[in-house]
Amino acid sequence: MVENYAILPCNGLDKCAGVISREIAIKLCANASNKIICPVHSRIAEAKYNKIVNEHALLVIDGCQTRCASKLAAEKNLKISRKITVTEEAKNHHIELKNDLNLLENENNLIEIILNGLNNAENKAATVSDELQYSYKFTYTTFQNGKFIFRVPSNPEIYFNENDCWAWVIGNRARIGVTDFVQQNLSDILYFTPPEIDAEVDQFGEAGEIESSKSVFELISPVSGKVIAINDTLVTKPDFINENPYELGWVAEIELTDFKSDKELLIGFDQYFEIMKKKVEELNG
Amino acid sequence: MSETTFMGVERDKIDWKPTIDYTKCDYCMECVKFCPHKVFELRETEEIKLIIRNANNCVVFCRACSKICGPDALSFPDKNTTTQRIKDIRKEESHG
Repeated sequence: MVENYAILPCNGLDKCAGVISREIAIKLCANASNKIICPVHSRIAEAKYNKIVNEHALLVIDGCQTRCASKLAAEKNLKISRKITVTEEAKNHHIELKNDLNLLENENNLIEIILNGLNNAENKAATVSDELQYSYKFTYTTFQNGKFIFRVPSNPEIYFNENDCWAWVIGNRARIGVTDFVQQNLSDILYFTPPEIDAEVDQFGEAGEIESSKSVFELISPVSGKVIAINDTLVTKPDFINENPYELGWVAEIELTDFKSDKELLIGFDQYFEIMKKKVEELNG
Repeated sequence: MSETTFMGVERDKIDWKPTIDYTKCDYCMECVKFCPHKVFELRETEEIKLIIRNANNCVVFCRACSKICGPDALSFPDKNTTTQRIKDIRKEESHG
């Protein structure tokens, strides 16, 4: 069950997705332990919600990818614990949203699906944890540009794609994550969306998303396979990715389905280190 | 930033860039502000105010701009087709 959350919906009343996000927030507040934050009122009377945000975890409901509610949370320095985007959920469940602002059958179905998904994920969250305790020593080589230091592990079991993601391959499993290039560019990471447990991921497919106030980064999986574990600590401590994106900040574990083929489009430390240096130099002119 | 190759394949040979659905685009220009690679170009005085200017600057497999597009007006080619195409080109070139 979704309980003890402060709920910040987008409340964009001129769009169907906004109306849906408002409706979901209201339905979640049928449970008295959840409290709603009105995004409009909070702009002019922030103090009214101080107690609520201090005593509850924050659930943000964005209507569309403009992410007004997320941006408001970032602006007010609120730490997001959970987040959904209505248009993404609609897409995932093949529900087409119309421009109509009235909630009809389609929209009500989507609301039910989202509410069930939120409640199920909440029940499941406690059971998902990293069962594999790797005792492994990462060996880093660093590159400095101005005040920024970029580490890259040079262990031979760690592969990279040119999209700045890594895979540490052990037998038929791989742990995946982003490199220092990503976390330095995003700056303070505020939110992490893990991939779904049991989801099948293609090579170069999306395997989670991380977000800072500056930008959104989709983790582009270096390998294909099934998601068997996620680093659920990142849901509450996404800043672990800033601290060390290879160890504390790993994202997920994948059971590999075709690593031999995936390997064709992966590179090792030597190549990635050079590519990353070039990218850093280009970005900094 | 312009990348000349991706996985050893000339960027020019890889079809990966966003397509703008002008029936959905509301010219909010979030994508222009977002993309650090200057893929998009804003043309304030033209009727079509947004175009893809530097397709080859688009990072292969990156779809981040479509993620931040409120009206969902940006789409990308099929990733698996692109992956296969890159593998085929690499094979052709290693044999050539």
